[in-house]
Amino acid sequence: MREEYTYVVLADDDEDDRLFFTDAFEELKMQTKVDVYKDGIELMNALNQSDSILPNILFLDLNMPMKSGLECLKEIKMNPRFKNLSIAIYSTSASEEDIEDTFVNGANIYIKKPNDFKILKKILADVVTMNWQYHTSGLNKDNFLLRL
Amino acid sequence: MLLKSLYNSERFLKIIFGLSLFIVLVMGGFAYKYVKELSESFDEVQDAYQLHIELEKLLSALKDAESGKRAYIISKDSTFLEPLLVSGSELDNSLKRLKDLTKDQPEHQENIAELELKIDNSLKIFEKTLQLAQNNEVESAEFISAFREGRQTMNSVRFKVLEMTTHENELLGSKKARSSRSLSNAPMFVYYILIISLLILLLTYLQISKNLKILKEKNELLETFKESTTQSEIISKHGNWIWHIEDNTFEYSDNLYRLLGEEPQSFEPTLENFIAFTHPDDLDKLMEQVNKMMENEDLPFIHYRIIQKNGTIKHFKAYGKVLIDSDGHKKLLGTTADITDEIVNYRLIEERNLELERNNKELASFNYVASHDLQEPLRKIQTFISRLEEKEQDNLSSNGKVYIQRIKSSSGRMRSLIDDLLQFSRTNKSEEAFEDSNLNILLETAKHDLAEIISDKRARISSDSIPSMKVIPFQIKQLFLNLMSNSLKYSRENVAPVITISYSQTDISDLPKVKFSKHNRYHTITVKDNGIGFDQEYAEQIFTLFSRLHNKNEYSGTGIGLSICKKIVENHQGYIIAESHLNQGATFTVYLPITS
Repeated sequence: MREEYTYVVLADDDEDDRLFFTDAFEELKMQTKVDVYKDGIELMNALNQSDSILPNILFLDLNMPMKSGLECLKEIKMNPRFKNLSIAIYSTSASEEDIEDTFVNGANIYIKKPNDFKILKKILADVVTMNWQYHTSGLNKDNFLLRL
Repeated sequence: MLLKSLYNSERFLKIIFGLSLFIVLVMGGFAYKYVKELSESFDEVQDAYQLHIELEKLLSALKDAESGKRAYIISKDSTFLEPLLVSGSELDNSLKRLKDLTKDQPEHQENIAELELKIDNSLKIFEKTLQLAQNNEVESAEFISAFREGRQTMNSVRFKVLEMTTHENELLGSKKARSSRSLSNAPMFVYYILIISLLILLLTYLQISKNLKILKEKNELLETFKESTTQSEIISKHGNWIWHIEDNTFEYSDNLYRLLGEEPQSFEPTLENFIAFTHPDDLDKLMEQVNKMMENEDLPFIHYRIIQKNGTIKHFKAYGKVLIDSDGHKKLLGTTADITDEIVNYRLIEERNLELERNNKELASFNYVASHDLQEPLRKIQTFISRLEEKEQDNLSSNGKVYIQRIKSSSGRMRSLIDDLLQFSRTNKSEEAFEDSNLNILLETAKHDLAEIISDKRARISSDSIPSMKVIPFQIKQLFLNLMSNSLKYSRENVAPVITISYSQTDISDLPKVKFSKHNRYHTITVKDNGIGFDQEYAEQIFTLFSRLHNKNEYSGTGIGLSICKKIVENHQGYIIAESHLNQGATFTVYLPITS
C-alpha cells in the first residue's frame, strides 16, 4: 500500500498556511497523502503512537505555540525510530540563526514560505519528487536553503 | 667600578678616618720617642759635663793643697795652710758628688774608687810631708822621699783624672754619633707624615663636600617629590598613611584629613580617630580587615565607606604594603583613595548599559516582528492575491482587476520595504567575522544576482582587478549589489547603462573630508555610471535612511539601499562619497583602509 503514494505531514499553527498547503497538493494531483497538525504537541503525539504510520516527508513550521518546530526536530532526531524521516523546515523567516540551528540539528531542507501560490505549488512538487538520498548525501549549508 | 663605588661609600670615609687616626697616633709615638731620646742625650751630656767639672774641682783642690803646702814649706807662714783645710772638705764633697753622678756607671765607680784610694794616699803623704816640714826636717832624706812620693802620687791622680776625662769624652762622642744618626732623620720623617696626613685630610674633605653636595641635591629632589606627592594626592584624591608596626603609631598625610572633610592634622592620627568616621554598615568589615592587617602585617585592597562630619558619604579604597627601612624598622605604607566619583560614574555607566541592553533587546524583538510577524500577514495577502489572479480572474470586472493590480503592487512595495529594513538592521559588524576575501568573486556573485536586470537593460559592466582584503564577505557583496542596482535603476531612458568599476589606492591626505584616521592608505573602489545622476547638493543626503530624490512612481526604491552601503563601509572603518551632476552620471567612491 505505502509505496503507491508519498505520505506528507505538516505541522503548522497557522490555519491559512495549512489551507494553502492542502490546496496546493490537491491542485498538484500527485500521488500523495497529506495530514496536517495544528501544533508540535499534536504532531509528536501522533508520531509517538507505536502503530503510527511514519510520513515520508515531514514539513515543520518553526514558530508554533507550546512546542516549536525546532523542539520537534530535536526530539525526532533523538529517536532512532524516526531516523529515515526526511524533514523540511517550512517557515516564514529565513533568518541566519534559524537556518543554522535547524541545519545543525539535522533537518534536510529549509523552505521559506513563498508569497505566491504558484511558486508554493512548484516548491512542494519539487520537494516531493526530490531524490532525498542524493540531496542528503551532498547536503551542506549552502544548498540547505531551498532556492528557486 | 668597584673602586669608584668604594670611594663613594660611607665605608670609604670610615676607612679614611681610621687611617688618619692611626697615622696621627704613629706620628705621636715617633715624636714622643724622639723627644725622649733628645732629653736623654741632653741628660747624658749634662752628666758628662758635671763629671768634668767635679774632676776639675777635685784636681784643683789637690793642686791648691799642694801649692799651699809648698808655700808653707818655703815661707813657714801658717796662713798658707788655710786652703788645705778647705780643700780637704772639698775633696770629700767632690768625691761624694762623683760617686753620685756615676752610680750607674760601674767602670767609673771603679775609677773613682781607685782615685779615692790615690787621693787618700796622696793626702797621707801630704800629712807626712807637712809633719816633717813643721818639725823642720825638710832637709832629711825621709822628707825628700816623701815629697817625691807625694809628687808621684799627685801625678798619678792627675793621670787618672785625665784618663777618666778622656774616657768620658769618648763615651759622649759615641753616644752623640748614635743619637745624631737617629735624630737627623726625625724632622724629615715628621714632615712626610704631616704631608700624608694633610693629603688624607684633603681627600676626606673633598669626599665629604662631594657627599654633602649629593645630599643637598637628594634633599632638594626629596622636597620636590614631597611637593608633587602632596599635589598628586589632592588631584587624584588619595591620602597616604604610615603605621609604625613596632611602636604601633600612625602618621596621616594632610590630604587624608581632607578626604575625611577635616583640616590637615586637626586630630591625633590614631586608628580609633580614623575608625570613628567609618560608615556603621561597613564598620565590622573594616575592623575585621584592620585586625587581619595587624596580624598579617599586610593590607590587601579593601573598600568601605565613611561619613564626613557634614553627613556626606564617601567611598574609600585602601591598600597597604610592609616596608622595612635601613634601620630595620617595620612600617606599613598605606594609601587610601576616595573612589566616590568612580563609583558614581560606574553606577551611571551600569545604568546606561542596562538601558542599552534593553534597547538592544527591543531592537532585536523589532527585528523579529519585522522578519516574522509583519511578513506573515503580508505573505498571506500576496498569496491570496495570487490565488485570486489565478482562479477568479474571469469573475472580476475590469475595475476589480485594476484594484487587484494596485493591491499587488502595494503589497510588493511593502515587502521590499520590510526586506530592506531587515537587511539594514542586520548589517552589524558583530554578526560575522572579517576574513580574507577575493573581492572579484564577491563582485561576480553580486553581478550574478543582478543578471536578469542587467540583460533586460543591456547594461555593460567592466571592472578592474581588485586585490584580496580582510572584509565581511557577505556585506561587501551586498555593497556591490546595492551600488550596481542603484546605477541600473537610475539609468537614463533609452540609454544602455555602462558601469565602470575601477580600483586604485589613496593616501589619507588625499581623502576628502577626513581629518583624522589611524590608517595611512586606503583601497579605493569607484563605481561610475552614465545614469541620470543627481544634484551634487544631495551628495550626502542620499545616504540617509529613507531618503529619496525621486517620486516612487518614477523609480522604485525604498531609500534604504545607499544607507546600507554607508553602514557596511563604516563597519569596515572606511568612507563612501558620491559625486554627480544632473544627467551626467554618478560616481560612488568607497575607501577601505589598507591594514598590514
